[in-house]
Amino acid sequence: MLEPFGFSRRDLLRRSGIGFGMLGLASMLADKQIAHAVPSIAPHFAPKAKRVIHFFLNGGPSHVDTFDPKPSLLKYAGQSIPNTLLTERKTGHAFPTPFKFERYGQSGIEVSELFAKTAEHIDDIVVIRSMYAQVPNHEPSLMLMNCGDSIQARPSLGSWLTYGLGSENENLPGFVSMCPGGLPIKGAENWQSAFLPGSLQGTYVDSKQSTVERLIENIRSPHASLETQRQQLALLQRFNQAHRSQRADPRLDSRIESFELAFRMQTAATDAFDISNEPQSILDRYGKGVHGRQTLIARRLLERGVRMVQLWHGAGQPWDNHDKIEENHRKLAGEIDQPIAALLSDLKQRGMLEDTLVIWGGEFGRTPTVEMNGNTSKLGRDHNHYGFTVCLAGGGIKGGTVYGSTDEFGFAAQDNPVSVYDLHATILHLMGLNHERLTYRYAGRDFRLTDVHGSVIKPILA
Amino acid sequence: MSQPSIWLTIAFVSLCCVACNSAIIADDRDAFFEARIRPLLVERCQECHGEKKQEGGLRLDSRAGWQAGGDNGPVIQVGFPNASRLIEAVRYGNAELQMPPTKKLSEREIADLEAWVKLGAPDPRDAMAPLSKVEKKSLWSLQPIAHALPPQLKDDAWSQQPVDRFILEKQQRMQLRPSPIADRRTLIRRATMDLIGLPPTAAEVSSFVNDSSDDAYEQLIDRLLASPQYGENWARHWLDVARYSDTKGYVYAREESRWVHASEYRDWVVRSFNKDLAYDQFVRLQIAADQIVPVGSPELAAMGFLTLGRRFLGVTHDVIDDRIDVVSRGILGLSVACARCHDHKYDPIPTRDYYSLYGVFQSCQEQLVGCGQTNDTAFLEELAKRENKNRETLAKRREEQSQRVRSNVEKYLLAQLEIEKYPEEVFNQMLEQGDLNPFVVRKWQAYLVKDKETPVPIFIKWHSVEKAQHNQMISIAADYGTIFDDVVKRWREHIAKFPNATTFTDPIDERMRCVLYGIDSPCHVPDEHITNIEVYFPTDVIVELWKVQGEVDRWLLDSDKSPPYATILTDRPVPSSPRVFLRGNPMTKGSEVSRHYLSALGGKESKPFENGSGRLELANELASPTNPLTARVLVNRVWMHHFGRGLVDTPSDFGHRAEDPSHPELLDWLAKRFVDSGWSIKSLHRTIMISSTYRQGNNSASIASDPANRLLARISSRRLSFEQARDAWLHISGELDLRVGGKPRSLFDQKNKRRTLYATIDRERVSPVLRMFDFANPDLSIPQRTETSVPQQALFAMNHPFMAERAIQVIASVNESNSTDRIAKLYNALYQRKPTDDELRLAVEFLQSDSAVPQPARTPQLWSYGHGEFDPTAGRILTFKPLPHFNGSAWQGGENYPDPKLGWLKLNATGGHPGNDLKHAVVRRWTAFVEGDYSIVSKISHEPEVGDGVRAFVCHNESGLLRSATLHHSTEQMDVATIPIRKGHTLDFVVDIRDGLNSDQFLWAITITRLEAMRVEAIGAGGNSVPLVSDAEKDFPTESDSQLNRWQQFAQVLMLANEFMFVD
Repeated sequence: MLEPFGFSRRDLLRRSGIGFGMLGLASMLADKQIAHAVPSIAPHFAPKAKRVIHFFLNGGPSHVDTFDPKPSLLKYAGQSIPNTLLTERKTGHAFPTPFKFERYGQSGIEVSELFAKTAEHIDDIVVIRSMYAQVPNHEPSLMLMNCGDSIQARPSLGSWLTYGLGSENENLPGFVSMCPGGLPIKGAENWQSAFLPGSLQGTYVDSKQSTVERLIENIRSPHASLETQRQQLALLQRFNQAHRSQRADPRLDSRIESFELAFRMQTAATDAFDISNEPQSILDRYGKGVHGRQTLIARRLLERGVRMVQLWHGAGQPWDNHDKIEENHRKLAGEIDQPIAALLSDLKQRGMLEDTLVIWGGEFGRTPTVEMNGNTSKLGRDHNHYGFTVCLAGGGIKGGTVYGSTDEFGFAAQDNPVSVYDLHATILHLMGLNHERLTYRYAGRDFRLTDVHGSVIKPILA
Repeated sequence: MSQPSIWLTIAFVSLCCVACNSAIIADDRDAFFEARIRPLLVERCQECHGEKKQEGGLRLDSRAGWQAGGDNGPVIQVGFPNASRLIEAVRYGNAELQMPPTKKLSEREIADLEAWVKLGAPDPRDAMAPLSKVEKKSLWSLQPIAHALPPQLKDDAWSQQPVDRFILEKQQRMQLRPSPIADRRTLIRRATMDLIGLPPTAAEVSSFVNDSSDDAYEQLIDRLLASPQYGENWARHWLDVARYSDTKGYVYAREESRWVHASEYRDWVVRSFNKDLAYDQFVRLQIAADQIVPVGSPELAAMGFLTLGRRFLGVTHDVIDDRIDVVSRGILGLSVACARCHDHKYDPIPTRDYYSLYGVFQSCQEQLVGCGQTNDTAFLEELAKRENKNRETLAKRREEQSQRVRSNVEKYLLAQLEIEKYPEEVFNQMLEQGDLNPFVVRKWQAYLVKDKETPVPIFIKWHSVEKAQHNQMISIAADYGTIFDDVVKRWREHIAKFPNATTFTDPIDERMRCVLYGIDSPCHVPDEHITNIEVYFPTDVIVELWKVQGEVDRWLLDSDKSPPYATILTDRPVPSSPRVFLRGNPMTKGSEVSRHYLSALGGKESKPFENGSGRLELANELASPTNPLTARVLVNRVWMHHFGRGLVDTPSDFGHRAEDPSHPELLDWLAKRFVDSGWSIKSLHRTIMISSTYRQGNNSASIASDPANRLLARISSRRLSFEQARDAWLHISGELDLRVGGKPRSLFDQKNKRRTLYATIDRERVSPVLRMFDFANPDLSIPQRTETSVPQQALFAMNHPFMAERAIQVIASVNESNSTDRIAKLYNALYQRKPTDDELRLAVEFLQSDSAVPQPARTPQLWSYGHGEFDPTAGRILTFKPLPHFNGSAWQGGENYPDPKLGWLKLNATGGHPGNDLKHAVVRRWTAFVEGDYSIVSKISHEPEVGDGVRAFVCHNESGLLRSATLHHSTEQMDVATIPIRKGHTLDFVVDIRDGLNSDQFLWAITITRLEAMRVEAIGAGGNSVPLVSDAEKDFPTESDSQLNRWQQFAQVLMLANEFMFVD
């Protein structure tokens, strides 16, 4: 390990005549201020997955055009369907998918041409076709999917995971959210830590930027070289050491340590975000364009122990195709199908797929009926929270399965409906956490990601 | 029963299960009950088997209830689902016994109940049920504040103040001894940081250290309490509790997202602390200033406490929940919000109390009102213009909306037949003018229910027919439609004849008219701020109404002439009667409750509030000297900010789950004294700070036996909050701007030298730096910040341009030719002490060693960033005007974006946005420093599909237009293979909005390469050479690209040190 300051931390503590040893971790934890900040870094039971990557198709991908084929829509084409439900806007008659579905893999699960490359890995994927959320509006549904509550400020899944499990690489943030070219709707609330310590909130990275200085805030000094900083920090720690030797306060040690970590982070983070050293074959596999690049960066982060990476499709709500869904969905899927497929095969080759949980989905799905503008069809679909699809792959799930179903037309979840709470409970379970025991005391109450709901979807576990 | 042996076996197995299960842990079983059974009972059973009704003599709202059983005997055989009547009923197997009668439970719910019975029917409610009656007495914080006397101690040479005797007594019991009194430098640093949130100056320290008067310390405290900076520092503590933000949180684009009144509330809090406003009045004004002070009073700003919470996209239930939470935790230290869904599990707060407070706030409406003066006529004229437009538009749309409902009586009646299609405030639907409004459908529903209860209902025919008789209902609805169309017609004729008429003369006619025109008519749209009445209108009208309101808001926000404004609550003419929402779900309404004070604090349903909403009565209860919580909670907060932790460790939770206070008698003694002193917070500071306890040093002897320092045998050092640190960094170089109050300003605007308190807090986009430094989340009432040390904080301190700039400034402020003197001065400025010999030696070593890194050459200014109008005939920009403001990552019109004058103009490293019209094309200009042949490779893209795209031009000042393109959701390569350019000549990369301003942001990657050196020239001092390739992105400036010199590097080290960040 690099010793940037000419002496190690252990030396420092020994020389200053006082260290953690004297007080013991327990006494530190007895101090609540610190206990709050130190996550309970231990799973409740043996985890199946160690890290999560979440492809967030913000705006809401259409399930009947991707992973949930509905031939009945063709039969009813041009007619209204029996169970048209109330959504945000008005919709009209049945709108059969313009995309071709085919069976893939040994499991023979049907997937549309939009995700043909991803579908090559269908035997590693579980398709949950019976998801449902609460309302057909983006904002509350984003909050529900990310933070487990439609309205109130609650910590995001990634914050809970880093709170419960910590990060395996102290030189990198534990939870990273990448979105090219700006923020999704609701911005940083999607990865907020709410009442958990601020350091657990997702670190946002604008993956459209290509230089590391612009990717991560404050990662480089525009005013001093690394060598200068090494000298500065060596002096700083001498001063801090003298200061510390006259005081018994573990908080001083934490801050001393944070500077050492920060210094190492400058090089570690640069390396993690730099894909220029990847072999050409890998670069080709992920493909050109920002999605290939951000997916590849994500793999490098996961490899280095980052707990959760979220990959948003883009600023705003790109998948929100109220009109011309054929053209728009084709373009959007075209941007991420290859990177997702590349990631799955890459993780597999590295032996990481078995303990990496890959999530695909949006905040909700879309209506099987066509959206109308007065009497004119918009050739698109409205929001649909009654039924939609989320896919999981990798760590601890039973690949090649379909779980649950929507009704004949794909409007509402029917068999084995899965709430967002159930999904969260299952994700935590795969990560070795009992969703009912991962709690945080705030405002006189023990809060959970799943509030008072949720049960693990056992049948999809390997 | 024919096979008793099988029964026995089953019974035995079940018994084993029970045994095994009870062997797991009680916790899990209770958790199962809490997760699955309690909600189910509340939602599906308790309406008929609870406190209000006991159908069949059965209650299911407590353990005792089901144990006692119903009129027909026991309902649960513990451990035996099949033998339990309750299970039989929910299974729907017996046609005579089916519960709940309206709808069968789901398979899973039935399975849960079976499992629960099988598990032994664990039900922790037996501890809870009587809680509200019994526990009320035993919860210490609800007892009256005791008249505590400081203990008499035998061996006490230490205590100076009553506070000390309470503290010393506990220490003696634990065989601890207090630390000796701290030295004077430590004391003034501690007191100054605690009270005003800034370090003292070197002069202040030396004057205090050398002050030999007896009351030097008391005088110091008085001086600090009189400082205007005191109010700023303590206001921030309160603003954490008040979840302060300058913005509303996420709102739809139609609505202005900044609060007009937030900064005025913040300044009111500052003023209140500075003038030592009695805390009871501080509380009262924040809840009910509208009923205490006259119209236009500056004190109205106090109500921001209630009204600047998150907007929750206008969902009333959540806005009210937020208000209940901030009042109950902020002032009472009780978490009443827990009772939104069920009776509080630990504290004596029933759901009915929650909805009682809900009713108080539901009976209020928001209003934006002036609370100060201005004489600026130009400002007032424009304001009047915008306000009139707003008022007129609102009046017009309200009347249209009412008329839309009046002429659709038939449709609104028919909608009642499929009421489930019209959700109440559940999700946002886009509504067109012709659509029935679901909210209004529900108003009709409520109206019809009321009508039915009147002795002679108007809709008597409607009520007389069963819903099942569909065809008949349809024809009745049509009849009523015709009747009411006629009422409208006749009333119009009547008005035409008698323009002053307000009623029909015939009483029956008049009753009919009131159905459509009365104040309680379902057609009525109240005359309130748009924020209160959005739900009545179709989507396009909401957009329009927010636009005219936004014009008013923006005028108030952006003009520097605007007087202060407050958003207050006022009582509605008719207060509403709250109903319990079962499990917090507004779709399932339970029984009605009165508006009353918390029952645990003496409120009773039988003693409802009497005046209007009851808000003033609530305020008076909260601020009452006999309220056991208010004073204790405040005293504890102040204590916490002086000692790092409260006597009660959970400052906003004084309930059952809180640990007992470490020194209960002291808490009561302080609280009593506080109330007796006229609720004076300044006097409370004095009482605490003159104690020996507060003046102790930091002897580590007690650290092993009392690591958490609850017994206070030493003083824990205080870590500077981010605000305090930033203020201190600005203060040491004399840069800090100490003006008090005013509009917020962005945190890292280079010109912003004001205290951090005044930085814009946008709850939607809290600066990552603030979050990283444990800033209080502005969405939640935060009693105490977490305190972390994470590397991102260190990265900020090491790398952020703000820190470099401070290092530069502090060095500039200590001018001494002699190094040793300069170092000493620096130590004095930062730490108010002399450096030790060791420190001096290390400093000199550092300053003398060269960093051995050559200072990188500064790139000459090849690029400039501006705007102008593209002249198509000349193929050039008419006049190039530079963009005035750089925010660290982009050049734009001003600090706020879009800028009021220059609009959306913006250039950043990778692209930008043109200005709002063709006169304001955005221009990235490149100037040649070397004559030569150049090639241009550039790729521009415009991504959005909406709008009509942009036009792009590449122009050379000599030869005019080189390339042009029109882009819309497309990408163009705009290259020039070779072009000779003379020194000092320019290339302009121009983008304008084409025909319309809509989604015109673009990306433009540009590289310009010099093909051959014609004549190489040295540029500028130091001989920096011009690179062969210019790259728009790489060359884009960062906030400051200067390198720190050795002295500045040294100053930065001292600024980062623990000695700076922790005050003993």
